[in-house]
Amino acid sequence: MNDLKKLAKAHAHDRILLFIIALLTGVMVIGQAYLFVAAVDRIFLQKYSFLEVLPVLLVLLAVMIARAGLTYWSGRTGVQMASKVKRDFRQSLLNKYSRNPIQASFQGQSGQKVSVILDAVDEIDSYFSQYVPQVIQTSVVPLMIIGTAFYHHIYTGIIMLITAPFIPAFMIIIGLKTKKKSEEQMDEMAAFSGRFLDILQGLTTLKFFGRAKQQHEAIRESSLNFRDATMEVLKIAFISSLSLEFISMLSIGIIALEVGIRLIVFESISFFTAFFVLVLAPEFYNSLRDLGSAFHTGRGSMGAAKKVSEELTETEQVVEWGDTPFRYTDKPPVIELKEAGFRYKEEGFALKGISAVLSSNQQIAIVGRSGAGKTTLLHLIAGLIGPTEGIIEVDGRSLFSYEEAGWFEQLSYISQHPYLFAGTLSDNIAIGTNEAATRYEIERAAEKAGIQELVESLEAGLDTAIGEGGRGLSGGEKQRVALARAFLKKPSVILFDEPTTGLDLHTERILQASIEALAKNSTVITVAHRLHTIRNADQILFLENGKLIAQGSHEELLAGNQEYRNMVASHRGGIAQ
Amino acid sequence: MNHLKLVIKEIMTEKKDVFLSVLFGFLAGITAIALFGSSGYLVSKAAFAPPLYTLAFLIAGLKLMGFARALSCYGERYFSHRATFTMLSNIRVSFFEKLEPLAPRIFQKYRSGDLLARIVGDVESLQNFFLRVFYPPIILLLVFLSTIFFVAFYSWWIAFILFAGLILTGLVIPAWFARRQKKLDSRIRESRAELSTDVTEFLYGFLDLKIYQKLQGKKQRLHDTSNRYIAEQEREGKTAMFNHSINSMVSFTVSWFVLAVGAYFVTAEQLDGVFLAMLVMISLTMFENALPMAVLPGHLEDNRRAAKRLYSVVDEESEPNTIIEKKLPAGQALSLAFQEATFTFPGEDRPALKEVSVDLPAGSKTAIVGPSGSGKSTLMQLLLGVIRPDKGKILADGVNLSEVEQENLWAKINVVLQENHFFYGTIRENLLIADGALTDKDMEAALERVELDHFSLDDAVFEKAENLSGGERQRLAVARAMLKGERLWLLDEPVSSVDVLTEKTIYEHIFSLAKKDTLVLISHRLTGLENMDKIIVMEQGEVVEAGSFKELMEKQGYFYEMKQIEKNVLM
Ligand SMILES: Nc1ncnc2c1ncn2[C@@H]1O[C@H](COP(=O)(O)OP(=O)(O)OP(=O)(O)O)[C@@H](O)[C@H]1O
Ligand SMILES: Nc1ncnc2c1ncn2[C@@H]1O[C@H](COP(=O)(O)OP(=O)(O)OP(=O)(O)O)[C@@H](O)[C@H]1O
Ligand SMILES: [Mg+2]
Ligand SMILES: [Mg+2]
Repeated sequence: MNDLKKLAKAHAHDRILLFIIALLTGVMVIGQAYLFVAAVDRIFLQKYSFLEVLPVLLVLLAVMIARAGLTYWSGRTGVQMASKVKRDFRQSLLNKYSRNPIQASFQGQSGQKVSVILDAVDEIDSYFSQYVPQVIQTSVVPLMIIGTAFYHHIYTGIIMLITAPFIPAFMIIIGLKTKKKSEEQMDEMAAFSGRFLDILQGLTTLKFFGRAKQQHEAIRESSLNFRDATMEVLKIAFISSLSLEFISMLSIGIIALEVGIRLIVFESISFFTAFFVLVLAPEFYNSLRDLGSAFHTGRGSMGAAKKVSEELTETEQVVEWGDTPFRYTDKPPVIELKEAGFRYKEEGFALKGISAVLSSNQQIAIVGRSGAGKTTLLHLIAGLIGPTEGIIEVDGRSLFSYEEAGWFEQLSYISQHPYLFAGTLSDNIAIGTNEAATRYEIERAAEKAGIQELVESLEAGLDTAIGEGGRGLSGGEKQRVALARAFLKKPSVILFDEPTTGLDLHTERILQASIEALAKNSTVITVAHRLHTIRNADQILFLENGKLIAQGSHEELLAGNQEYRNMVASHRGGIAQ
Repeated sequence: MNHLKLVIKEIMTEKKDVFLSVLFGFLAGITAIALFGSSGYLVSKAAFAPPLYTLAFLIAGLKLMGFARALSCYGERYFSHRATFTMLSNIRVSFFEKLEPLAPRIFQKYRSGDLLARIVGDVESLQNFFLRVFYPPIILLLVFLSTIFFVAFYSWWIAFILFAGLILTGLVIPAWFARRQKKLDSRIRESRAELSTDVTEFLYGFLDLKIYQKLQGKKQRLHDTSNRYIAEQEREGKTAMFNHSINSMVSFTVSWFVLAVGAYFVTAEQLDGVFLAMLVMISLTMFENALPMAVLPGHLEDNRRAAKRLYSVVDEESEPNTIIEKKLPAGQALSLAFQEATFTFPGEDRPALKEVSVDLPAGSKTAIVGPSGSGKSTLMQLLLGVIRPDKGKILADGVNLSEVEQENLWAKINVVLQENHFFYGTIRENLLIADGALTDKDMEAALERVELDHFSLDDAVFEKAENLSGGERQRLAVARAMLKGERLWLLDEPVSSVDVLTEKTIYEHIFSLAKKDTLVLISHRLTGLENMDKIIVMEQGEVVEAGSFKELMEKQGYFYEMKQIEKNVLM
């Protein structure tokens, strides 16, 4: 995937077509020069009558039109080839990003990724739409011209043969730098996108801290950096065409001089031949020069392609799932953690040696101070991250021996910061299940989540657009919309990460009832800060600093754990002043 | 077209570069014509074996022109591109400058991926405006007219043909292409924006998509969007190729006519045969300048759309600038007051706040409680001046907030929102937002207060602080607000995801720091409100009760009832 040259080779069909077009173009170029010179010669020197040259002129017209037609055909073929390649590249990128484990998905800036998917892939276009057709064109047409020159006037041929290699040599020297510079340019572009998107998300925060104006500077700087990076690339391109121009100018001059001297001083060639090679010479060098600029664009594309393939080759430890079907039974599965642990990085926070049996149909509460690892533990149980030590078993087999889709089908997980997608309320709830949900079911779910009142107050009801570009909701309302997702399907395992933060007691009671109803047929694992949620749990897992320091029922923990007693006591305290 | 005017205005700020690009463009065009014309003349002349010195003279002239042409080309490219990219950068900055005041409202109208597409893709596409739309016609006109003027010395007829060619390639054909382009209704800009929007959402909502097993479906949709975009690009590319070929076909044909008519005149002895080759060469070279006209309509249409997409975001909502230059006193606690303030969100029937009247004396501590959706955060937004009441007034230190300069107001507030944003970078960078002059010691002390001292200032913060736990994010936001050190605190559930023990310590710190300051706290937990000066109870956009803890409990109203519920669940 990473080698554009190889990719271009893969499109053999198009290349053959381009080759044929190039051959035909060569014929037209030479034919055009020939007929043009012939017409001038006949009229100017041989004094033919107008009617006698008319046939030559008509053929010339046909040749010129055919040449334009061939240009179109060749360009069209290139454009099609470019489309195919871009499609493949973007497909691979999307595949890669969608397979990313969640840890990797948090890395880097979203704007940068967007830039790679959009801009870098678009940048590859010109390699196929311009460079490849031009390379084929240039490997055919100049050869044909040189052949013709040799045939008509050997010295011109020799001069062409000697001067021509300077052009590719120059191109290569300059082109080498281009690739690096355009990589830098792509980087600047991605950096700009990344920064802009981040600033956009945090614009409100920035304003309140009086930093928004400063961001103008940041954007300006970032944008000017991008301009400078672009100008760097372009300057090379311009210098390269300037030098190519000089070389071809010089060469054409030498040819003209040689022909002129022979024509006048030695009178050893005819006007026809002299004029003919003089018309051909610019065509010859133009073709080489066009290759020069196409080469430049091509190198630019290679820079972009490198960026894309770097993104593609970055390996992530993907969580590997097995293929045992996860069967739905009336009884929720038993989940067992055996010395399970997870660490994010070499050092820093780690969840260590968690052993617990989460029996079928139990209500389990995970408690602990902020940063103790509760969310991490939920991720682990959900199979979103693979344990770096120990194992997790579900119904006696490793969780990861099951089919991924089957497991998630049986699972509901309302995360701590659920994302609301741009779409209607109903869409946002329906995302909770893979089956088509009926309107009635969605309404019921909304009711269980306690947003019925809100829905009723809205003119468009469940069809109100929310999320980005839609109606704003209060913090608690957002939370409840996300919760409604869980009430849509009947999962056997439900994970809630602080489902009732930011909700008032009244709303919370509605939810509590709904959750209890769900719990009749499933295992409910809740991360909770509120005492009353904790108290009703069958089993409490008490985490501290990544370790499971106690487990059992509320009474057991009250009796046996000082930390726990402290926590309960402070629940009754509250804000001190 | 209107929006393109704004782009032209931006271009015109780079006057010098614009002038230089036109100048060099003209020189490049005219020297090329002179070069090829004289080379045609040269060979023809040579056929008559003229004295060698004329030839030498001509060849030297040719070389000179060749170099002049190459250099002019370079100059033209350099200056035109520099002008273009400076312009793009200016457009980006001014877009952002206009966008900034519209936040946060703007997000209810546009999605961030879309805005990203506008500032990157649409702006980028405007580079063609100067390079391929704005100045090529100027150069075309200059070069053609001067060449035609020159040719007219040799043959009026040929000059006329060339003029007809100018009209054809410079006017008739572009007009025809423009019509075709309109019909084509290219949606390239829109489809690019769609892809950008969808990819952004895909990345932002990744965790939820993964949990709900929607990644595959979403990916498929992205493929489809991408393919639509590529199909649009392909259509554009092919149209451009087609236009290009038609244009060169016409140019060739015109040159052919020059040759045919020239040939006729030579045979009719109305034109000296020596000039025939020259005239044809001139014609062929001259029409190279008409090539850009082929792609001009396509770019023009594309730029028109891009400019519209860009400027329509920012120009529709410019608030009437009433007197908003008053400043609040610095360094003192402010009093706040709502006087029958009513607010309705745009497009809503129901007001989010109804005739709210409360007084918060300077230095007082107020709690706002009430069910979810009752309007607490809206009240806070009014205090922050990001929304303005439809009716009634909000006063800070007796000054109507609508007349206070927003930046001045924000500079006086330590704010923790219900959802806080953190930037990709380090903890230090995120804290420095509060005050650029903070020392590491200050910041470390603040981290310690919110029990985040196990983090070092250099620790990485991922995008949206995804590598921090929910409670850690809230605590970082509190630390940031503390570091700002102003005398008015607006806290919207600052510790809702923090465990009670940590909550207690943090509140202790906040209240000791804010001892003499005005503080407004939105909270769901009713425990510990005993010490607040005032509790405001909200329901459905109205203040149903207000008073001290004791007063409210004695009143046995709404608050009392909530308190009873809490007691029941706690005991
Ligand atoms: N992606 C990550 N990379 C590195 N460290 C992380 C990452 N996610 C979380 N952490 C760290 O792991 C620790 C535990 O985080 P976790 O989210 O599990 O806490 P928590 O118990 O859910 O806390 P809270 O109640 O505040 O949500 C925290 O110190 C956090 O900084
Ligand atoms: N941008 C908006 N456009 C329209 N309506 C909105 C918008 N933001 C909030 N609302 C509505 O205004 C009402 C008050 O919202 P607000 O955010 O003030 O509630 P809140 O009291 O802070 O609730 P919570 O405790 O859930 O945060 C809610 O009914 C909400 O749906
Ligand atoms: Mg958490
Ligand atoms: Mg709120």
